[in-house]
Parts: sequence; C-alpha cells; structure tokens
Amino acid sequence: MDLLLPALLGSLKLSAKLILIIVPLVTLFEVLRYLPVFRRAGNVVEPMMRGVGLTRDAAIPLFTGIFLGIAYGAGIIIRVAQQKGLPARELFLMGLFLATCHSVIEDILIFVVIGGNGPAILGVRLGLAVFLTGLMARVWKPA
Amino acid sequence: MTEPGANTAAEEPIPDIPTRIRTGLSAGLETSLKIIKVSVPLYVAVTLLKGTPFLDLLGEVFAPVMGIFGLPGEAAFAFVAAFLLNLYAAIAVIVPLHLTPFQVTQCGLMMGVAHNLVVEGGVLSTTGARGGVLTLCRIVIACAAGLLLRGLWGLWETAASWAAAPPGPW
Repeated sequence: MDLLLPALLGSLKLSAKLILIIVPLVTLFEVLRYLPVFRRAGNVVEPMMRGVGLTRDAAIPLFTGIFLGIAYGAGIIIRVAQQKGLPARELFLMGLFLATCHSVIEDILIFVVIGGNGPAILGVRLGLAVFLTGLMARVWKPA
Repeated sequence: MTEPGANTAAEEPIPDIPTRIRTGLSAGLETSLKIIKVSVPLYVAVTLLKGTPFLDLLGEVFAPVMGIFGLPGEAAFAFVAAFLLNLYAAIAVIVPLHLTPFQVTQCGLMMGVAHNLVVEGGVLSTTGARGGVLTLCRIVIACAAGLLLRGLWGLWETAASWAAAPPGPW
C-alpha cells in the first residue's frame, strides 16, 4: 500500500503530462494541415527528395509519415501510394526513410517531457534516414 | 494514435475551422484514453516490481545486450513494451526506472525507430512494400542509431569537458 499510492499518483502525473502535449498538438495539426503552404511545399522539397531517389509523387505520403507517423497517416500513405502507382523502388526507398524517421514531432516531444534530448534524437534520426535512403538509391538504380 | 485524418484524401473538401478543432480534440481525447489505459498499469507494475528479485534477474540477463547501447539491463522491459505496444507504454516503463538523460535520449532514439512493430508492419505491407523485411530493417536501424548516438554523445562530453563547459545537451 505504501508503494501503491505513490505509484498510482506518479502514473497519473505522467499521463497528464503526455496528454497535455498530445491534445494541443493534434488539434493544432488538424487546424493547420489544410493550409495552402503545405500543398505548395512540394516545390521546395523536390530537389532534396531527388537526392534520396524520390519523386514528387512520394511527397505527400512521405511528409505525412514524417510528421504524423505511420499508423496515424496510414490512410493517406496507402491511398496516395496506390493512386499515384508508385514504383517498387520508390515504395522501398520511402519505406526505408519512414522506418528511420517518422512521427518526429510527437515521438520526440514525449521523450523530451521525461528528460530526453530532443535535438540529439532528431539529428541522429534525420541524418541516418537521409544517409541510408541516399545510399540505397544509389545501390538500386532506377530502371 | 489512430486515424481521424486517415480517411481524408488530398482532394477532399476542406472542413471549416470549428470542425477541424473538433476533429483534433476528439482525436486527442481518444489518444489520451489510450495513454491512460496503457501507462497507468505499466507504471504501477514497474514501480512495484522494482527492487524485487524478478526485475533484478531480468536486468542481469539483458545487461550484456543493453550495455552495448549504454543502457541498464532493466531497459529491456521498456523495449518489449515499445516493440509490441507503443511509445507511451515504453515511457510508462522508463520513468520508474530513473534513467540518466543520456539513457532516456537513447531510448527515445532507438524506440522512435522501432516501435509498434505489429501494427505498423501491417500498414507498411499494405503499401506494397514488404512488411517483414522493413520490420527487420527497423530493428537493425535502431541498433545502428543507438551505437551512433552512444559514440556521438561520448565525443560531445569529451569536447565539452575540454572546453571546461558543463557536459550536457546540444
């Protein structure tokens, strides 16, 4: 009993902290995500995407995954991938990038809340994703 | 998190702002319930198990593997929670273990790459990519990222101590 009460309190405090991060974040995202800025962002990122072997068609699923995460963005990722008929090579490269670097805002914030170093996590994930995808894009040449 | 935006195609009509706020709040609320359901029991369980022979034994068994990444053996329990469930479950395990800032960062990095493997593996395979291969890739990448961070963090602390600045975050 001496242990149980503090444990319960601690767990509720942790949940409250996480909820205070998540609810505003998700709400803000829903409000902002239809802004035309995001639709036009494709032009800006295109040269960068070419470096890792991806074309514009992959931009929406890629950025949905990077910011929202794979489970949350599943509907958009699957639909766009099928609509645009992304070739196997691009699907693989996109999958590799997203495996290393997805849901960056939420995942990193919740670890910052419990004492982690956000820039370190983001830096290593992003750097590794660009390196691995860029490497594989050169190994697997486009047909 | 689950899919309030999941059924929205890029071309669909744009909902007005109050609708968007409602969508966001209800998605947030749904996630909150999920967080409480998973973190309260896990947090309490780990707190009660801490200091018992069970957790000590588990720690000893996994100490050699976890040690590679600069983590204590008990962190293995957090990895199981992250792989099978999600990051909230992992965090509920990590907090009662009282890890150092480096160790929390290391967990955040490695688990950020590899978590929720069952569900997300399914999603990835429906895009046409091979789910099993990518899941394996994620575990390998997580290990690579862990080694990389351990090396970089060591370098950073060395550099910081040379500059006679307090070692710490970037």
